[in-house]
Amino acid sequence: MRYLLTSGLMGRGVSVLVAAGVVWIWLLISRSGAISPLFLPGPDKAWASLLRGFENGVLLRQTLGTLQHMFFGWLVASVVAVGLGSVIGISPLARRIFSPLLEFLRPLPASAVIPIAIAFMGLSNAMAIFVITFGTLWPILLSTVQGFSSVEPRLYEVAKALRMGRIETIRKIVLPSALPDILAGMRISVTAALILSVVCEMIAGLDGLGHYIMVSARLYRSPDLFAGVILLGAIGYVSSTLVSMAEARLLRWRDRGH
Amino acid sequence: MTALPKFSFSGATLAFGQKPILRNISFDIPAGQFTCIIGASGCGKTTALRLAAGLYQPTQGAVLFDGEPMSAPRADVAIVFQDYGKALLPWRTAFGNVSLAMEAGGVPKAGRADRIEELLALVGLAGQGGKYPTEMSGGMQQRLQIARCLAQNPSVLLMDEPFGALDAMTRQGLQDEVLELVARTQTTVIFVTHDLEEAIYLGDRVIGLLPHPGRVGIDVPVNLPRPRDQLATREEPEFLRLRRELFDFIKGSEA
Amino acid sequence: MSAAAVPRLRVNWLGLALPAGLLLALELWLRLSNITTESLAPPSEVFVTLLENLANGRLPAATLKTLTGAFGGLLMGGIPGLLLGIAFALVPALDRAMEVTIEALRPIPSVALLPVALMVFGFGYGMEFAIVGKSCFFMMLILTRAAVRGVEPRLREVSRVLRLSKPAMVWKIILPAILPRLFVAFRLGASLALVVSVTIEIAVNPQGLGYEIMTAREALRPDLMLACFIWIGLVGLGLNAGLLLAQRKLFGRAALAGEGVK
Repeated sequence: MRYLLTSGLMGRGVSVLVAAGVVWIWLLISRSGAISPLFLPGPDKAWASLLRGFENGVLLRQTLGTLQHMFFGWLVASVVAVGLGSVIGISPLARRIFSPLLEFLRPLPASAVIPIAIAFMGLSNAMAIFVITFGTLWPILLSTVQGFSSVEPRLYEVAKALRMGRIETIRKIVLPSALPDILAGMRISVTAALILSVVCEMIAGLDGLGHYIMVSARLYRSPDLFAGVILLGAIGYVSSTLVSMAEARLLRWRDRGH
Repeated sequence: MTALPKFSFSGATLAFGQKPILRNISFDIPAGQFTCIIGASGCGKTTALRLAAGLYQPTQGAVLFDGEPMSAPRADVAIVFQDYGKALLPWRTAFGNVSLAMEAGGVPKAGRADRIEELLALVGLAGQGGKYPTEMSGGMQQRLQIARCLAQNPSVLLMDEPFGALDAMTRQGLQDEVLELVARTQTTVIFVTHDLEEAIYLGDRVIGLLPHPGRVGIDVPVNLPRPRDQLATREEPEFLRLRRELFDFIKGSEA
Repeated sequence: MSAAAVPRLRVNWLGLALPAGLLLALELWLRLSNITTESLAPPSEVFVTLLENLANGRLPAATLKTLTGAFGGLLMGGIPGLLLGIAFALVPALDRAMEVTIEALRPIPSVALLPVALMVFGFGYGMEFAIVGKSCFFMMLILTRAAVRGVEPRLREVSRVLRLSKPAMVWKIILPAILPRLFVAFRLGASLALVVSVTIEIAVNPQGLGYEIMTAREALRPDLMLACFIWIGLVGLGLNAGLLLAQRKLFGRAALAGEGVK
């Protein structure tokens, strides 16, 4: 046990050193001038730009813009998908009615609705929220349907033997049973939400990091561009980690014992 | 027998579509009796138990409980499923699983906690209320399912091969605990098993079903003194005689 | 849910009624109200435009460009990802050493690298390969690593008992064993690649289906825009269905279990 612990920490330490080495090589390359600083600014320059951006408030505003698009789109998608998914999951009739339409819409690249959304809503935040909602809906919807249809049949018998009503059965048996699937869908969707936020901001020029990095690239301000990319990576990491943590907390009954 | 039987199967027949499962099942079970149902696999013994639980309805004939048709599950008839791993809610603790039966029965929240602790203690799970089913052994999970059934305050306990998946030692321990529990609470029990010795050891009476379709083939009383003892009872001449008789019955039914 | 899983010749009329009804309602509404709009066109008109642009070669040419971008990126990113995935699974020390680096790079949204690729490569295939490649690299890395880790341990023991060299073990045991799961990874990668390449084209790159749909909107041609939209959907559906069929033919159920290959 102790051996495992120390070797785990050791491994982590080595891993951090390797990552630091990669940054160091990046620094060396940028200093050597082998690649034009226009394409590859040093990590020091990118870091300085990051700090400056937060000091003067520009990056904070752009970050909040991206977070808002992401969060609201994802939230609306989650509510709609869990609602619709529950109906489809419970009712075979609803499943028959909706499945062909959903089969067509599911593999559709979400970004393909951007032009249509722009045609209807213009270059607005509402357009971005709509696109993000549309794009993040499918993973949650499909996993909700999956979760509802894979409830252990024995549990339905338990509910029947305990004379539980339909609503009570859904609330106490079906929903908790489908929760792992629903949360897994929401975890996948949060990544998609970030990607679509960036794309919408780029195309529509909305406040957000997507717009910020695009403008930085056009003005050849590559340290700002790299600062934005680093920030987007951080948002991606933090958001999926947060959802995973919520998942672990809500599903803590799952990984106990054997 | 003057009193109304607790359960009365009268000509109960069940078919799934064209496939007959049970044919013309008839027997009465008086209150307080411990009845075991045995039979080769595919004889429909589990299906018969589901009829008694009100989970299935006979296509012909009737299953009466206190003289009334068993048209739906009742609060005072509890069923213990064989696959405890599937029948417990994995996302609820032991406490929460027992609570489920009380919530469904409309027991006010105020009275629940004490009663749940009492029930957990009764099945030997005192102090284990905070554990999730996945943290418990098979034997403990099955005790938990029994506790959940007892939370319904049942007058009848239906048990579907409850100890089939447990190791021999755990099984014997639970057999004695169930006997003690039943003796104390005066509960009527219908117990389905494929283990002949278990049926004789536990029961006041053993009903054997014949397969394809399931029908009653044998119905014998077990005249063994109570309380039963894992060693002494199993050495009684009457025990051995019954074992022989039922063994021959099963052999014959498979031929 | 999947259409391919439904027994053949059982048509779900009820399910087809919903999209058909929606289309009919849209058609009637647009025809009867006689409004002119820049965002909608009657379905019949969209259908005619779709056929016209398929016949005149405009959509096929754009489709070819999009698929070239998608599959080029899939190969350029996917193959290194596959090799590294096998290496990581076979050499845990390497996996542990690279963990933080991979964890830091993977969450960067692929489209965030779009401006970087734009500066480096300019418009054209280069940026598309780079961005699609980034997405597919990490996807193949993760899926391949999981596939190799999932190889029945008994098979690895067999190769040790037979004293196979490491390369021989990879070639004769590991690769055949993970082949079905690799194909699944390839199928998922192809879907992802198509999505990413269309996205790049919509966002900046002036070529392919994504560019067609954007220019149709700017030209205020709702019929062409919706025709492109439908076509992109059909291409996605066709690609997925084709690869799914190939997977069933090649590996049967083994692709799902990840075992039992010849």
